[in-house]
Amino acid sequence: MSVADALQSPQRLMGLTNTPSDLLPGTLELLILKSLGSGPKHGYAIVEHLRVASKDMLHIGESALYPALQRLLLNGWAKAEWGVSEANRRARYYRLTPAGKKQLAGEREEFDRMVRAIQYVLDAT
Amino acid sequence: MGTWFRRLAYLFRQSRHERELREEIEAHRALRAAHLERDGLTPQQAEEASQRAIGNVLLAREDVRDIWLGLFPMWWQDVRYGVRTLRKNALFTAVAVVTLALGIGVNTGIFTVLNGVLFRDVPAPAAHELVSIGQAVEGGQFMATAGTDTFTVSEYHAYRERARTLSGVLAHSDPRETTLGGDAPQEVFGAIVSCNYFTVLQQAPSLGRALIEQDCTPGAPPVVVLGHGIWTTTFAADPGIVGRDIELDRRRFTVIGVAADGTYGGAPMRVAYFAPLSAEPLLWPGESRFRDEKYRWLHLIGRRGDGNGLEQVRAELGVIAAQIDRQQSPRETRLTIERATRATIPSAARGAATGAAAVLMAAFGLVLLIACANVANLLLARGTGRSQEIAIRLSLGASRARVVRQLLTESLLISIAGGLLGSVLALWSFQTLVALALPAAVPPEIPAVAFDLDFSPDARVLAFALLLTLGTSLLFGLMPALQVSRPDLNRVIKQEAAGSGASRRSARLRGTLVGVQVALSMVLMISTGLLLRGLYATYTIDPGFAYRNVAFLSFGTDFGPATVVNQRLMDQVAALPGVEAVAFAAQTPLGESMMGGGVRLPGETEEQQRFAEFDQVTPGYFSLLDIPILRGRTFTDAESANAQRQEGGTRPVIISEAAARTFFGDSDPIGRTLLQASRQGGGGDTAFEIVGVAADAQLTSLGTVVPYIYEPGRPGGVLLVRSRGSFAAIASGIRALVRASDPSVAFRVLPLEGNVAWWRGVSGMVTTLGAGLGVLALVLASVGIYGVVSFAVSRRYREVGIRMALGATALDALRTILRQSLRPVAIGAVIGIIVASGVSRILSSVLFGVSPADPLGLGGAALLVFAVALAAGVMAARPVTRADLTATLRYD
Repeated sequence: MSVADALQSPQRLMGLTNTPSDLLPGTLELLILKSLGSGPKHGYAIVEHLRVASKDMLHIGESALYPALQRLLLNGWAKAEWGVSEANRRARYYRLTPAGKKQLAGEREEFDRMVRAIQYVLDAT
Repeated sequence: MGTWFRRLAYLFRQSRHERELREEIEAHRALRAAHLERDGLTPQQAEEASQRAIGNVLLAREDVRDIWLGLFPMWWQDVRYGVRTLRKNALFTAVAVVTLALGIGVNTGIFTVLNGVLFRDVPAPAAHELVSIGQAVEGGQFMATAGTDTFTVSEYHAYRERARTLSGVLAHSDPRETTLGGDAPQEVFGAIVSCNYFTVLQQAPSLGRALIEQDCTPGAPPVVVLGHGIWTTTFAADPGIVGRDIELDRRRFTVIGVAADGTYGGAPMRVAYFAPLSAEPLLWPGESRFRDEKYRWLHLIGRRGDGNGLEQVRAELGVIAAQIDRQQSPRETRLTIERATRATIPSAARGAATGAAAVLMAAFGLVLLIACANVANLLLARGTGRSQEIAIRLSLGASRARVVRQLLTESLLISIAGGLLGSVLALWSFQTLVALALPAAVPPEIPAVAFDLDFSPDARVLAFALLLTLGTSLLFGLMPALQVSRPDLNRVIKQEAAGSGASRRSARLRGTLVGVQVALSMVLMISTGLLLRGLYATYTIDPGFAYRNVAFLSFGTDFGPATVVNQRLMDQVAALPGVEAVAFAAQTPLGESMMGGGVRLPGETEEQQRFAEFDQVTPGYFSLLDIPILRGRTFTDAESANAQRQEGGTRPVIISEAAARTFFGDSDPIGRTLLQASRQGGGGDTAFEIVGVAADAQLTSLGTVVPYIYEPGRPGGVLLVRSRGSFAAIASGIRALVRASDPSVAFRVLPLEGNVAWWRGVSGMVTTLGAGLGVLALVLASVGIYGVVSFAVSRRYREVGIRMALGATALDALRTILRQSLRPVAIGAVIGIIVASGVSRILSSVLFGVSPADPLGLGGAALLVFAVALAAGVMAARPVTRADLTATLRYD
């Protein structure tokens, strides 16, 4: 499914609302941290990374992405600096800080536990 | 922490931050559009699709702002709203701010002074590392100067050598009065210090070298480091001073250096010299404290090394003390180790000093409480006026917490403004006051003292002012806020008049506050009244001896070897024109020093001995000072000539009336005997045979009568001279005589009246301070009472109008109003009198000539408070009674 197709049926998208209530709280931050783990990225690159990595299941809108990114900045998990994108445009690149790396590891463990817990509940008879 | 810092950084560059965010989102959209075009959409479609995908950007931006600001905007809104409200009510705000400024100001001011005296660090680099070491020892025979807390030379060496938690331990004596010889001999204060003094303090001399260990070996050539002050004055900042000799108590010392300006002198005063420990036998001939294992005279200060905490130091030194105890058993040492302050209060006096400071702060605290009650009352009154606004806010969905927060924010704004204004006023005025008061606190006989006290504000003062500001805002703000935010919505919105439940509640609260205020100010004013009566007594009291037209000649510390003080000088002075009488005494009346001791009756044990003051006088003393001999006789010339200060034996004495009463009751003391134990310990008793009884005279402190024992004395000490002529004439005659017989002796000729004036001045200062507080309390309380009474009256305009319409006269209406508004005043006054009578009992034990149940003071204060309340009520009620009826009836 292409981006264009996806945009024709927005109800299929996740995370296009301001508060991605269809994600567990904090999950979006975790995913962003993860995608920054492989190197600094600008906002659009993060969205694309998440889309591709989720096999086209996650489409994050800007209005959800940017508040999440600001939360990372506020907590000191990422730093932002202006750079030039591949298409020769000015873009802001986000880079993980050491505190961000620690946060990623911790959050990930927490998330795994949570998923397992949910799984147990769903599997219970 | 980092989060807060980033939030703060955001605040300062909020607009730039938001611009960048807009730009970033736009860049994002452009990238997406480009992507979509690559996927085959037309530019038009790509534009639309990307715009759609972006979602609600405006909301996102709001979200971002909320993320960064947290709860801040709400609070900021409160502040802006508060400022607006306060500015709209400029008069209310001004009264509240000035009231608090006075309350907070006097407290911050007095704390600045206490801080300068009690808490300030030793003026030295890294002063937080310095610890003072004091000891209390039980068991063993010891002589001590400066009360307890001091150490012998060998104890000092034990701590210095064994302590590992301290990088260095220094020792210093109390400031010592010394005669500095030269063309014009003068009395100065100096310190005897260990030779690592400058190293441990980390204050290198500004000229020459510091003391080194060789200077402290016994028999080392005598050297001194000069103080910076004396070097710039007496020695005119002579750069060639190093290597020259100076004379201290007629001993030659070589100057090896000049201490840096502001070097600590072991006490809160600047010292003229620092001499090594080994010089002590030269400066105290006769006693050798330096070698004596039993003489405690050194104060110890250590510097903590390697980041050792106070606890580690205490633990280690405690072990050393235990070692010393074992070596010298039986003995038990208790160490006091604290962060060093520049004014070291002996541990024995610490309790009393803390108590005095607490009483002082309590008096000032009362003023602040009155101020708070005032402002709380104002807020309550205004809150009632604002109940409609608050009711509307509550009914529009604001939570009570939100309204309380809003009201507290306003209180905080008021107290911050008051605190700022008050602190600025306080710091400025109290520093000026202290600068004026300090020199006046030094007795005239003591050589000019340069105090080394710092009353500038430091972190502790700022913290105190801040704490006071925040505390007061809660104190005066919380209760009114809770009260006001609990209105009965229905009634308020229907504009129901006073008399409903809520407003009755708040009226009761206001009444209580007025009562409290009246009680507090009664306490302060009654205390003030007592202080003023005490002051009056000080100025009018007869000290029991004649002090007018009496001059006294006192000598520097080195008069011992001088040949001046003898019978010949007495005869020469007596021959001066205008001189009526001359006499020698060991103590100057109301002078700086006194000598007391325990005395007992034969057959009593040493535990039963009672305290008496001692003096040694020549026969003419009593007639010169006009102290009548009530029974028996004065000394004979032969007794005076044979007088000696050795212990043991029998000698004739004259005792004061108070002493006669203390030891013999109503029976005749003439011919009876008193015993004094040896002062050195071990020697035999000295027997005093009573030959006369003299009238009581207040010779040691003005206003107190203590048992006195006069022994016959030979020429020595102070020469008292009564004359007919002017003081200036007689003084110049005496000066010429002394210079002629020995030009190298340091001496002073002063009027005895100056000593009396000094005593009066000191108690005058205390009283003025107290009276100032009392007047401030009265002013604040009057403002408060007036405000509350007039508010209560104005709330009842309509009721009064109705009563008058129904035929009540203006006088009737006035009477009703006053009766109700004065009730809390009366209750408060009664409580105040009860509390004040307790306080005055304490005060009267300090003051003299004032009995605790002083009806004039109590009644006067009560009357004053009532008059103020009455005046306030009448003034507030006047417009009501004069008001035109229809206007009153329409009044809302």
